[in-house]
Amino acid sequence: MLEILIHGAVSSAIYAMLAVGFTLIFGVARILNLAHGSFYALGAYGAYFFTSHLKLPLLPAALLAMAVVALFAIVVEKVLVRPMRRSQLAVLMITLAVALVVEQALFLTFGSEYRNVPAFVDAKFSIGGVDVGGQRLLALGASIALIALLWIFIQRTRLGSAILAVSQDPEAADYMGIPSDRIFSIVMGLSAALAAAAGVLAGPFLTVQPTMWLLPIVKAFAIVIVGGLGSIPGSILAALMLGYAETIVGYLISTSWTEIVSVLATLLMLIFRPAGIFGKRAAF
Amino acid sequence: MFGKRIDYAGAVGFIVFMAALPLVFGGNYLIGVLTVSVIYGIWAVSWDFMSGLTGRENFGHSLFIGVGAYTAGFLNTAFGFGGWWSLPAAMVMAMLFAVIIGLPTLRLKGPYFALAMLSGAVIMQRLMLIFWEQTGGEEGINGIEPLIRSQLGFYYFALAALVLVTALLLALARSHWGLILRAIRGDEATCQAAGINVTFYKIASLVISAAFAGAGGAIYAHYQLQVSPQLFAVVTSITIITMVYVGGMASIYGPVGGAILLVLLTELLREFGEWRLMIYSCTLILILFFVPHGLIAPTWRRFRSKLRRAQ
Amino acid sequence: MSALLEVSALNKHFGGLHAVKDVSFSMAAAEIVGILGPNGAGKTTLYNLLTGFIPADSGSIVFNGRTLRGLAPYRIAGLGISRTFQLCRPFVGMTVLENVIVGGLGAQAGERGDLEARALALLEKVGLSGKEQLLVELLSYGDQRRLEIARALAARPALLLLDEPFAGLGSGEITDLSALIRSVHAEQGLTVMLIEHKLHEFMRLVGRVIALDFGEIIAEGSPEEIVRHPKVIEAYIGRGDEQAEEQADAA
Ligand SMILES: Nc1ncnc2c1ncn2[C@@H]1O[C@H](COP(=O)(O)OP(=O)(O)OP(=O)(O)O)[C@@H](O)[C@H]1O
Ligand SMILES: [Mg+2]
Repeated sequence: MLEILIHGAVSSAIYAMLAVGFTLIFGVARILNLAHGSFYALGAYGAYFFTSHLKLPLLPAALLAMAVVALFAIVVEKVLVRPMRRSQLAVLMITLAVALVVEQALFLTFGSEYRNVPAFVDAKFSIGGVDVGGQRLLALGASIALIALLWIFIQRTRLGSAILAVSQDPEAADYMGIPSDRIFSIVMGLSAALAAAAGVLAGPFLTVQPTMWLLPIVKAFAIVIVGGLGSIPGSILAALMLGYAETIVGYLISTSWTEIVSVLATLLMLIFRPAGIFGKRAAF
Repeated sequence: MFGKRIDYAGAVGFIVFMAALPLVFGGNYLIGVLTVSVIYGIWAVSWDFMSGLTGRENFGHSLFIGVGAYTAGFLNTAFGFGGWWSLPAAMVMAMLFAVIIGLPTLRLKGPYFALAMLSGAVIMQRLMLIFWEQTGGEEGINGIEPLIRSQLGFYYFALAALVLVTALLLALARSHWGLILRAIRGDEATCQAAGINVTFYKIASLVISAAFAGAGGAIYAHYQLQVSPQLFAVVTSITIITMVYVGGMASIYGPVGGAILLVLLTELLREFGEWRLMIYSCTLILILFFVPHGLIAPTWRRFRSKLRRAQ
Repeated sequence: MSALLEVSALNKHFGGLHAVKDVSFSMAAAEIVGILGPNGAGKTTLYNLLTGFIPADSGSIVFNGRTLRGLAPYRIAGLGISRTFQLCRPFVGMTVLENVIVGGLGAQAGERGDLEARALALLEKVGLSGKEQLLVELLSYGDQRRLEIARALAARPALLLLDEPFAGLGSGEITDLSALIRSVHAEQGLTVMLIEHKLHEFMRLVGRVIALDFGEIIAEGSPEEIVRHPKVIEAYIGRGDEQAEEQADAA
């Protein structure tokens, strides 16, 4: 029971970090970023590369990885996505193409074998008789802290309210003199950094290989469908639901069935409540 | 009409050329490459019929291909049905999946369909691995019988299938049905105001598209004599989309040319080995940026109007 | 005289906004009715309710003896209600001719006849002949408005709903378009409802006016009655809508 509680919380936290960024850039810039999973993969590979090749200590390596990924995302958005923004399809195509280029680049430089991202914490902790890896607990804590920080940033700062304004009404924001292009860059960087953080934190206990971007993007998609496209609280709640649902199914039936959970959740939501749990339909 | 006569002449020329190629150059290697290119052609036209015409991009066409191929594999090996049963069965199964995914997603506006197809393909690939006891896992299903034993015979069968599918979909695309699909791409609300049941047309065209993709999957299974989860891979879908973009979206015949051209070029790129997919993805980005209307169909249109003016 | 369209107690809320409030009216066949109202009065929303694009919260809509509420937009269109959009929404990527043909495709198969010939005739009627093979994107704004009407007529509607058909047109174009509306009305006995801001043309075209403000019907009657109606004057002048004021005076 406690085991489910803890492990469910850890996977929910990782999912939330991915989904919040995915939904944020959609809500603000209407960019459905299929390269979002690549940022997660690049984060994990970045931490691996900076520690094992450049021999950096883990914390600077992790921060550097997040910064590099954020920068990469900003460049992708500026150079490749922005000229295509008038067409939703073109954005999907171009971001998917970017994801494949990243996958191939990772494959060509690092090969297809699994890579090890060092853990911040190697110790195991025992909580109420349940053994939990320290890294998992750290991932949980860090995820809560990062998402809380993001939330405070959006709610409490000037830049944050500009982001909110753009997401609610881009035209009105334009009239008010908010430079929406710059906002897009910032949000893209933030959401990529968050995904990279998820990669760095989850890297030690997940398999790090070039195709690791794919399943997370599917999960992120399921989560934002359940939570409502563009809604941050919705995606956090949905991440919790999916994380726990998968953990419970994994314990009760078998881990083989966990993948079915997200598919079923997605399908059922689309059929019965396409606007998400909070019912806020993103205007398209 | 003169324009139509040029089109027919072009089609006949293409068929004769494709049929004559192995006779002139010979060799099982070339026949193999051509067979694969023709099967990709079937996948590309079937993609274009739904996604090119309605503008609802399907990022998981490999789902239908894989479902068709596995249906063929199961029927042929586990249940011992003769090879020819695979085609109708694969079509029916693929159509079933199209309805399951299309029904909830195509009635919604927004990117739900594109994402659901992508997710569906990814999940199916995972399921093939997870339930390896039933599906053969990474290995897939081996020992599938060939439909036709002679290599050349199989190639001609695949070519005939491609010609048939293309002719059928072209006829549909040029009928009122195609007009409606293009109108859906133009403006869905106006379609509804004109009394058109948009959801029905989108789902029906997805079902048709899936049927032929599934049939192509079955043909592929009986050509490779085995199926593997790799069939469901996103890369397969992207390869097909690239072919359609190269050929010219919504033209139906263009993607056939795009598929054949790209498969042949890929063979030439063989020496680049691992770099192949990288080159592919970068090509796609370049095409999206610089020739979004494609190469083959626009070239053909230009050629045709030149001929017409010369006449 | 039995009504072609009978609307009663229709309501629509958008969050806290009561966009259409207890609207009831009826239309007889072959009438031309104008809907008048300042910006945001709920005119377009009323059209969206009638055509099923937005579900109503309460009330009833009966057309030709059939209840429309809850029907999908394409079904309502199939029953013989055609509409145009306030902002032109042609089928982009298609030719002018194809646009009009698609407009006729939603009708029952039996009524189709020779779609292409009819589309050509309609294009001639709205003054777009010679432009049949152009891509719609290349048409001028005025031509797009005309095309919008040709497309709507291609479905052979019993009731035509026009949303600000004159918006953005020059006065010459407005006269032409009015003549067109009058002629299809006269020839086919078509029932027409139109939303308009420019009172001048509108007044000579319509037989009856329904004035809306804040989602409510504030007045109903002949054009002459409406321009003198104190509530209408207040709705326009009281809010300093200068253009409307001028035109109300002119009328
Ligand atoms: N889909 C919607 N969601 C939320 N509010 C809406 C929606 N459609 C319209 N509204 C609001 O309802 C009110 C009435 O809008 P409507 O478009 O019907 O006005 P209108 O009379 O057509 O005005 P105009 O002359 O500017 O076209 C406006 O305040 C508008 O902002
Ligand atoms: Mg309006």
